[in-house]
Amino acid sequence: MKYILMMNTMRAGESVPKWPTKDLQAHIAFMLNLNKSLRESGELVSAEGLAFPDQARLVRAGKDGAPITDGVFPESKEFLAGFWIVQVDTPERAYTIAARASAAPGPGGAPLNMPIEVRQVMSGPPPEML
Amino acid sequence: MKYILMMTGTKADFDWYATWPKRDLQAQLAFMHSFTKELKDSGVLVATEGLAFPNEAKIVRAAADGSPITDGVFPESKEFLAGYWIVDVETPDQAYQLAARVSAGPGPKDRGNQPIEVRPVMSGPPPEML
Repeated sequence: MKYILMMNTMRAGESVPKWPTKDLQAHIAFMLNLNKSLRESGELVSAEGLAFPDQARLVRAGKDGAPITDGVFPESKEFLAGFWIVQVDTPERAYTIAARASAAPGPGGAPLNMPIEVRQVMSGPPPEML
Repeated sequence: MKYILMMTGTKADFDWYATWPKRDLQAQLAFMHSFTKELKDSGVLVATEGLAFPNEAKIVRAAADGSPITDGVFPESKEFLAGYWIVDVETPDQAYQLAARVSAGPGPKDRGNQPIEVRPVMSGPPPEML
């Protein structure tokens, strides 16, 4: 089963956290190391990091189908900061990996214990829709 | 440059989607399928995934001992990721054009055009974090 682990941790206006450089570096090193260990265990399907919210646009088609872009979002909007897709046998394994990501180090090296949203990724549309 | 095109919706949006008449669902799925095929054929598709409905979404946090604490309660306003495409294109405008196509995808008559969030995908952490 494939699961997606999402960090919906950014808010509008957020950029690189104002942490001491060594804490930022430790955070990134932790993430790169997590990716490496998931790759080595054969569980990593993909991992992506998204640009900061200032580069997000909401796009709608106008009447003529041309894109209308808007860069204003509600303050409450959760921006996806990045995600992993993992191939695992049970949801519990996905939750265990999510907990590892959750405990990524923050300022002073303390675990962030950030929320990670976990959901199954579908191999195709539900059969009842076909 | 890589861009992600994200479709999101609240739980209410997903519930409504599940009640679409079968022929509307089928028309929408056929549209998605041919859109994805076109992206693949033109060489711009990097990845695409559809996520499970939010009913089984969990928020996972690490406890003090690192074990996962899962929670399945979300605010009603929460926007859940329904699916995404990652495309590799030359300019943001090309990504917005593609997003407008998805925005204008078929649905029930009163549906209107859907907002699609578009954001650059990073090839790695910002250099100042390494």
